[in-house]
Amino acid sequence: MSKIISDVDKFESESPSSVVTAINTAVQTVVRQRFEASGQNWKDFVFGESLETITEEDFRAVEQMLIDAGHRYDWSAAISPQERPDAYKPAVGTSEDDLDTFCFEDPDAPVGEPDGDGLELRGVGDNVVSYSEDTVGIARYVRSTNRVLKWLSEGVPENTIAVIDDSGGTLTAPILERFKGVICAGGTVRSHLGILTREYGIPCLMNSKVNGIMEGDSVRMESTARAKNTEDYQSGREVTANIWRVHTS
Amino acid sequence: MRPDYAQLLETNHLLQTNGDQTYWLCVTRTVQESKLFPVPAYMLLSYLNAFYRYPGVLKKIETHMSAEELGDRARTMGSKAHATSMWGLPCFYLLGREWQINMGLIRPEDAAEDLIYIVDFWKRFQLSWRRNSGHITASDGGHRTQILPERQIQVFHADMYDCESGEPLHEAAQAFAASAAQYAFLVACESRISMHQHGPYHLGENREMLVRDFVDLAECDLPWLDGVAENVPYTNLTMPMATEGVHFNIIDDWGSFAAEPEFKGEHITGVGLYTSDPLSDGYEPVGMGSKEELTRTFQDLDERLKDAMARLWKRVAGWTRDQMLDAGAITYYAIIKDLAHIAGCYDPDDWIKIDRRAERFRPLLNDEYSRDMLGDICVGSSPSHQMYEYLMMRHSNLPQRIYSPLPYSMLVDDDYAPTVGDVQPGVTYLDEKLDRYRTTKGTFGIEEYNRRVRESQPKTHEDRFRFLCEPSIKYRYDGATADELYKLHQQNSRNLRGRGAGLRRADIEALRG
Repeated sequence: MSKIISDVDKFESESPSSVVTAINTAVQTVVRQRFEASGQNWKDFVFGESLETITEEDFRAVEQMLIDAGHRYDWSAAISPQERPDAYKPAVGTSEDDLDTFCFEDPDAPVGEPDGDGLELRGVGDNVVSYSEDTVGIARYVRSTNRVLKWLSEGVPENTIAVIDDSGGTLTAPILERFKGVICAGGTVRSHLGILTREYGIPCLMNSKVNGIMEGDSVRMESTARAKNTEDYQSGREVTANIWRVHTS
Repeated sequence: MRPDYAQLLETNHLLQTNGDQTYWLCVTRTVQESKLFPVPAYMLLSYLNAFYRYPGVLKKIETHMSAEELGDRARTMGSKAHATSMWGLPCFYLLGREWQINMGLIRPEDAAEDLIYIVDFWKRFQLSWRRNSGHITASDGGHRTQILPERQIQVFHADMYDCESGEPLHEAAQAFAASAAQYAFLVACESRISMHQHGPYHLGENREMLVRDFVDLAECDLPWLDGVAENVPYTNLTMPMATEGVHFNIIDDWGSFAAEPEFKGEHITGVGLYTSDPLSDGYEPVGMGSKEELTRTFQDLDERLKDAMARLWKRVAGWTRDQMLDAGAITYYAIIKDLAHIAGCYDPDDWIKIDRRAERFRPLLNDEYSRDMLGDICVGSSPSHQMYEYLMMRHSNLPQRIYSPLPYSMLVDDDYAPTVGDVQPGVTYLDEKLDRYRTTKGTFGIEEYNRRVRESQPKTHEDRFRFLCEPSIKYRYDGATADELYKLHQQNSRNLRGRGAGLRRADIEALRG
């Protein structure tokens, strides 16, 4: 059998992702087979016959192979499981009905009992900008275009602190300005959502680890905490702001 | 032409420069994500498109204008030929190459002549565009991008209007900047490549100027802006912004900034507004007749951008995944498209289609594989990155290289495929682009736009001016040619028209009153 570049590697290693390893290995098998069948030198094959014999159908079959083996892919864009529900894990927490029971459950989130002021620690995040006051509002999840479309036409409910797991700036683009605060479960203070909330002057915690905050909970963000900066990320220094559920007596 | 040893040495040096920078940018930012767009998937598709098309489109551009002259032209406008584009030029190509190495589809030495050309083009453009600081990247310059010559900085400095928190101009400028940034993210399918910052430029004690560019705002090259951006009057807008009490300690190769202490709106003490493109011969003021006019202009643009954003968001929300993939991949791949505009040879088929050789890979691009594969190739987790255990990579100290070097053994065995060849036909799932391009001189079809660019030689780029660099001016500022050049830059300036080359920063400050 002919050898290809990936067959000999002194410092052999694997991707930390099993999906990457499985798919790349399957592609390598296709490449090896087509190269063998060509009977050509590699340098003639690589931008010649390979462009015709390694096809879209080959790649489709490779991707389907994992699904047939029972794997369901993680999704990030809502459109992906919407178009191929059989290929992706269920899109939990994206419909209005789901939100009655859904919440982020980060096992690394620090949590505690309510203190004397009724503040129950439910997580931490990286503060984008330090403000003179903490931010108090109502937690509402934003995880789907349907909710954005609804609030675009009906208006964003008063005092909304958006709880988001998307550090991008496009999902909430037409309504972001109307949030009182943002708790984002991903990204860093330099992610797009961090940049935009800074521009709008909206308190925002990125890279938040939160657990148990439900739709409609009253929450308080420690917007007065020191902002996390690039040097903090580079040195691995933990600089966090607290997120509390607020209990009123 | 067979490469020689010196070419390989330089190519590998430039690969390493870009690899170190890519690693730093990625680990300080995290991988992009979006619930709206399949971002990693479109990024991977764009990298393949770059791998198969950049060699052909760049050679076509250089039949009209050299990389060095493109760098000179791009320096005098706020277009999509900026720091981020010039990170993307080699790195999108290289990431497409690295991904294919890890799939066993190519070897590091395959397409060697393309690779040598790509990084050589990049080097020549960068050295030209950044000639006023003498660096090749923002990172090389200590995370600074100080590209403007004194004569342009002076115009921005002299004409900007002072403002402070609570004033109508301050509020209007901040609202505009927020809307423009958000619209720019949506226009660019969640990427930051429709906006860019450069500087900082020192305005005097405790004050700095950051120049902010927002590009591709109106009906231009991107098919998804047809109709929805019909009321946006400018394709490119540039907002010089003076600040006090804050130092921009990082302006990175993605055109974004960090500041010490953290930057807040209250630090803004002055603003201006300009537009520019390949037809404008420099920056044209927008609404700069008076402080009140500028306030109204920011407010008007804020409304127009918000309207376009809502319309565009609804259009995008109705797209199929393939349409989102195409839009994102085209946005990324075409990050250098303005080079073709500057050269007057822009062809939509070159820039808004997916080459059929890249299109083959579309079925692989589910969200999970794309996310993990992208992470691997950007931060050194792929098998191709791993090197001998004694090696310590810059920033990480790990035995890795982000971009596989060209092996010098190819000089001996001659066993490599030189090139992917010319651009091949492409496909798109998006609506056809309307032949409508908004410029500073009107809205044209592409043939007319190209023709006008080719026929207009900006006066400030005539050879007698083009090479009057900052060191030349230092010793020749009192000559007639230097004076004429400064006056050309000052011709639209409210405070500097006709003042010439003799002014220094303190004179500008005094002139502002």
